[in-house]
Amino acid sequence: MDIIRNFPCLSILLSMFTAIICSALKGKGARRLSTLVVGIVGILSAATLFFTMTTGEHYVYVMGHFPAPFGNEIRFGCLEAGMALFFCVIMLLSLFGGRHKIQMEIDLHKENLYYIMVDLLLSSLLALVYTNDIFTAYVFVEINTIAACGLIMITEHGRTIEAATRYMIMSLLGSGLFLIGICLLYDMTGHLLMSNIHESIQAIVADGTYTIPVLVTIALIVVGIAIKSALFPFHAWLPDAYGYSTVSSAAMLSSLVSKGYIFLLIKLIYRVIGFDIFLESKIINVLFVFGLAGMIMGSVNAIKENDIRRMISYSSVAQIGYIYMGFGLGTSAGVVASVFHILSHAATKSLLFVAGVGLTDVSGGHKNFEKLTGAAYRNKMAGVAFTVGSLSMVGIPVFAGFVSKLLFAQAAVQNHSKLLPTLIVLAISTVLNAIYFMKTVIRIYTPVHSKYASVSVKENPVYAVTLICFIVLNIVLGMCSEPITDWIIKGLSLFA
Amino acid sequence: MDYMLLLPVFLPILAGIVLLLKKEYQERKSLLSYVGIVLVVTGILAVYAMFSVTEGVTLFYLTKTLPVYFKADMLGRFFALVVTIVWILAGFFSFEYMKHEKNEKRYFGFYLITYGVLLGLDFAGNLVTLYLFYEMMTLLSMPLVLHTQTRESVMAGLKYLFYSFAGAYMALFGIYFVYKHGTTLEFTAGGVIDAAVLQENGVLFLVVTMLMLIGFGVKAGMFPMHAWLPTAHPVAPGPASAVLSGIIVKGGVLAIIRVVYQIIGVDFLRGTWVQAAWMVLTLITVFMGSLLAFGEPVLKKRLAYSTVSQLSYILFGLSVMEPQAMTGSLLHVAAHAFIKVALFLCAGAIIYRTGCTRVEELKGIGKGMPITLWCYTIVSLGLIGIPPTSGFVSKWHLAMGALSAEIPVFSWLGPVILLVSALLTAGYLLPITMQGFFPGEGFDASKFEKKEPNGYMLVPLVIFAALTIVIGVMPNVLTDVFMIFANGVM
Amino acid sequence: MNAFLLFLVVLIPCIGGALTPVIPWKKRTHMMIYLEGLVIVNSILVWMLLFNRPEDIFTLVNFTGDLKIAFQLDGLGSVFAGLVSFLWPFATLYSFEYMTKEHHEKVFFMFYTMTYGVTLGISLSDNMLTMYCFYELLTLVTLPLVMHTLTREAILASRKYLYYSIGGAAFAFIGMIFIIIYGENADFVLGGILNGAAMGAGKDIFLLVYVFAFFGFGVKAALCPFHSWLPQAGVAPTPVTALLHAVAVVKSGAFAIMRLTYYCFGADFVRGTWAQYLLMAVILFTIVYGCSMAVKETHIKRRLAYSTVSNLSYILFGVVIMTPAGLVGALSHMVFHAFMKICSFFCAGAIMHQTERHYVHQLDGFGRKMPKVFAIFTVSALALMGVPGLCGFISKWNLAEAAIESGNVLAYFGIGALLVSALLTAIYMLTMVIRAYFPRADFDYETISDVRDPNWMMLLPLAVFVVGMVVFGLYSAPITDLFTAVAQGSF
Repeated sequence: MDIIRNFPCLSILLSMFTAIICSALKGKGARRLSTLVVGIVGILSAATLFFTMTTGEHYVYVMGHFPAPFGNEIRFGCLEAGMALFFCVIMLLSLFGGRHKIQMEIDLHKENLYYIMVDLLLSSLLALVYTNDIFTAYVFVEINTIAACGLIMITEHGRTIEAATRYMIMSLLGSGLFLIGICLLYDMTGHLLMSNIHESIQAIVADGTYTIPVLVTIALIVVGIAIKSALFPFHAWLPDAYGYSTVSSAAMLSSLVSKGYIFLLIKLIYRVIGFDIFLESKIINVLFVFGLAGMIMGSVNAIKENDIRRMISYSSVAQIGYIYMGFGLGTSAGVVASVFHILSHAATKSLLFVAGVGLTDVSGGHKNFEKLTGAAYRNKMAGVAFTVGSLSMVGIPVFAGFVSKLLFAQAAVQNHSKLLPTLIVLAISTVLNAIYFMKTVIRIYTPVHSKYASVSVKENPVYAVTLICFIVLNIVLGMCSEPITDWIIKGLSLFA
Repeated sequence: MDYMLLLPVFLPILAGIVLLLKKEYQERKSLLSYVGIVLVVTGILAVYAMFSVTEGVTLFYLTKTLPVYFKADMLGRFFALVVTIVWILAGFFSFEYMKHEKNEKRYFGFYLITYGVLLGLDFAGNLVTLYLFYEMMTLLSMPLVLHTQTRESVMAGLKYLFYSFAGAYMALFGIYFVYKHGTTLEFTAGGVIDAAVLQENGVLFLVVTMLMLIGFGVKAGMFPMHAWLPTAHPVAPGPASAVLSGIIVKGGVLAIIRVVYQIIGVDFLRGTWVQAAWMVLTLITVFMGSLLAFGEPVLKKRLAYSTVSQLSYILFGLSVMEPQAMTGSLLHVAAHAFIKVALFLCAGAIIYRTGCTRVEELKGIGKGMPITLWCYTIVSLGLIGIPPTSGFVSKWHLAMGALSAEIPVFSWLGPVILLVSALLTAGYLLPITMQGFFPGEGFDASKFEKKEPNGYMLVPLVIFAALTIVIGVMPNVLTDVFMIFANGVM
Repeated sequence: MNAFLLFLVVLIPCIGGALTPVIPWKKRTHMMIYLEGLVIVNSILVWMLLFNRPEDIFTLVNFTGDLKIAFQLDGLGSVFAGLVSFLWPFATLYSFEYMTKEHHEKVFFMFYTMTYGVTLGISLSDNMLTMYCFYELLTLVTLPLVMHTLTREAILASRKYLYYSIGGAAFAFIGMIFIIIYGENADFVLGGILNGAAMGAGKDIFLLVYVFAFFGFGVKAALCPFHSWLPQAGVAPTPVTALLHAVAVVKSGAFAIMRLTYYCFGADFVRGTWAQYLLMAVILFTIVYGCSMAVKETHIKRRLAYSTVSNLSYILFGVVIMTPAGLVGALSHMVFHAFMKICSFFCAGAIMHQTERHYVHQLDGFGRKMPKVFAIFTVSALALMGVPGLCGFISKWNLAEAAIESGNVLAYFGIGALLVSALLTAIYMLTMVIRAYFPRADFDYETISDVRDPNWMMLLPLAVFVVGMVVFGLYSAPITDLFTAVAQGSF
């Protein structure tokens, strides 16, 4: 079974090399290859997950035989492997769900470029998940940014280019702050490997020296990642980027890219800074407040929005607020809830994007609600899927969203000082979610004599199957939450 | 044979329902004979029940501890007797009067049902049963009020309904408390609540009693909830106004006697602010009713205001909480019932024969309808309180009772106001007689020629006039019984 | 009996209902027989369960530790399940006739029947989580029923219904979390399951959470200021308004509050605190407010809906008295109001179905043309007013008795509010009755010559309900005994 220990590294390399190969292939070939590779990586991750779950330990994989503290390392436990698997599944589903749109919206000669970006994105995500080296993390953060930019502007019309530019600027600001943070860490500790930094930081804090620099470093890293993952009030780039890019991109960006960063933040909190030190810094309260504000403001903006894609995008702002609020609670239960929410939100949001495109397609490509009236009758599968996604977002039992809401609330009860604000904002946010999502659901189920043709399931079976997979995934997350939370708790314990 | 008590209650109710559900009669005669037979049979049964049944009857239980219980005590018997006399006579009057109204079947149907309900009210043996029949009385007499179905009468019917319900619910509020703190809901001389409990919850029970007084007082037209009465009574057909004004308002009086003397107990209330407030309200009503009647040009409305005033005579007598005053009150119940029914029947007869409704149109009416106007005059004297009529005796007892009660201020203020009101009564009733018989110079009497109604109408009128005088001459038959009762509950 | 049956009675209507639009029906009659049979069989099953109650709990899904989806049947659940399963077959029968004039009835019957299952799910829930799940599901399955006509008005109403319900559930969620975290026991237990020792956060926080949850569930029970969805939802077909918005849905809210108060937080915990006074004040206001609005309203169904608003708060009033006697009052009004209101709604529905008339002022002279319907309507009006001899009097009596027994001065005012509301009820109900029976003297009956009584499918349910009202009104001892036993935990 030892061979499985090579899988994480292998999957990173595999996806990188695929990107290189894709540059030489035509669109169709690139598509097939990339899809295959995503699938293979998924299988590899599944194997890794199985392996780590059975052994219950974490492993360090040394790159290039340079031992620590000089070499580069990969470290993986069950949480990392599971995340990788999950990312692959979502990516695969997103690609399938948006395939017809990719063919429609992207210049035929540039289709392979799209898949290059996808592969790069995958590799950078995997690297972010697996790496034990903080500088490697930074490098892949940048690769991730570039790939994401490419995904946004591949359709090459004005708004996407503008959106990509905004994204680029904000992202670079974020990575810049992150980089400064890393530099400071390196200055203070002299290490780049996470485990080594962790030890040094513990020592520094125990000594009481460098209190302010440590605080500044934490602030820089957290803020940097917060900008990149669109925490309110750093979310200005998000609606355009998600709203105008092709649907696969939007789905992947919202459910993978920002989640990759957040996962990195969790790693940094647990493995570099240390959870206790993070708790003692007041940054946590800032995160909490911004998280709460994001939960409300994202939804308020979404209510005001008249464009279905942008509405779903603003909803992401709110959901990312949930995740940061979970961190802000400062309990391990809160982090568990946040991790679960990463999963449930990723599954739900990509479902919504993919279903949303099915609805806009049967409404003449219009994205405003006026035109979407009755769309669910014209594309039944998309209607059902969108409803499921909406219910999950609102937090109706059976669906994934309910479980994360439950976990957040349970985590909140453990922290008396933050108990009431959390619960009340959670309730208000539920109401707001209900307002804009259910409004849309009712809208698409309002019958109208429309001039737009309807699409049956048979015309686009891949799309329908994808949606079914998404729905199943969502319900699995909602119904079988117990093993998943167990897995998260176990994985987090391996972090420390 | 205790169940004989139920027979007069349920027979007319069932007969009325049957009548309502039946198809229109082909011949008016068969309708009338049906109604007449039911009325007479019920009357006989009621009188039989009054004098032969002494035990109480429990019909069924609403909840485990709430029996629907009937028992004919002296008070109930007396009220039932008055009801029976009036109902049968007014019923016969209706036979003629209703000729010129539509929907006769419906009228008689509800007339019968209401009769049964009133007997039920009188025979009710506990507070809940009383309340049950009280509500039914309101509901089922309402069709009598709005019988003509003009906009005015329907609105009046609604007003009647809502005032009555408001009152009933205020009373119900009290019943809840009485039920909870009392030993029983059965009417018991001196009250059903332990003195200790009363002392403990003194304020609560005073408030509750006041609410119940005002609540049941609605039916008796007591200020401040009297406004429905002058609206509702005049719009009904003549005989209906008569029974509404003469009998149904007495339902409120009965309920108040029951509550004050047989549930709460006068010992608790005597000398409290409740008694004072009650007296003030009744005296205001007495005076205000007379004054309004004095200024009212429409005859039936004038009579309705008069009812407001006269009912509060009765209530004043009760509020004094003294045996002799109570005797006066009870006597006035009968006196006023007969008199007011007679007055309204006169008004009805006049409307039926001539169509005149306003007082100034009645000049010279005595030329054409002498018997009617004579009956009117006799009962008017009764209402004013001139001997030898029933009104004199009852008012005498009222005033004597009040004077001997030794309540500061009210002992003398009450009789004074009663006296002033009597003067006003003379002022609003007698001019009709005067102008009716002596229309003055140059009056054309041909308008009223040969308008005297037939026997159906005249006989009841004459009987009521006679009753007024008989009671006035021989009051002792009744007053002796009343004194025994009054001493019993005080 | 086997505890699995508890789940089965929830499942049968859900699956059976979901199959309705799928099966290719040859004739409408076949579908009718299928649905009616389904509902009756299920109701029989429920009543069999009521008489042979399974002792054990049926656990469907087990999450971590205490969190589980489980079913059980206790006294309170029996009352609600018995009520719902008694009414449903009749309501279904009625809706067959009513729906002849509406479109896509298959979808309608699908959700209508599914609602049955979900409502039973609420009544049979073993714990807060299960109840919450079914509570949310109830919103979802009833939503299509509200927007059934798909007019603009219906869409707006359903939106509002949804926002209010989900919003309410979101606040109820807070209460659920507290119960899950601080409860000693996962199952409902009479007297409350709050663990006194574990209350780290202080009593006030718990009371605040209780108030939140109360209002949350109170949304479904149309507690002011969250009541306005209910009158608006009257755009739904009448069987929905009658059964769901007078019984199943709104009573689920009241039922959930009973569970929350007596079985989770515990009445002793809340009695005498600011929370009790606050809630009672709001409830008293709702009682009077709902009636006043009903008086103002001229649309028949909306008027009845406002009446429901007020009457639901009667039930809640009983609940917040926080004594077993209060629960008895609440339960009796829950059951009796179901009969009265479903009956009056069905009468209103019969009027709309037969004559397409929707407003009070159009009812002139109907009493003669629809004698049966209006006789029944009159009885239900009198019952709602609380005339002795009909069931409304009994429940008010029980409520008042409990209020006086509690010695709570605000509860005394509550009795006053009940009576004010009774008066207003008299106003808004009797004006309709009087209009129908006593039109203006010059009213021309020719103008309503098309009006006549509906057929037996509509009249039978009405007759049954009216019999129920009278029987309960005249002979209430056994059912009050039952409620007392439930409230004292001996049933």
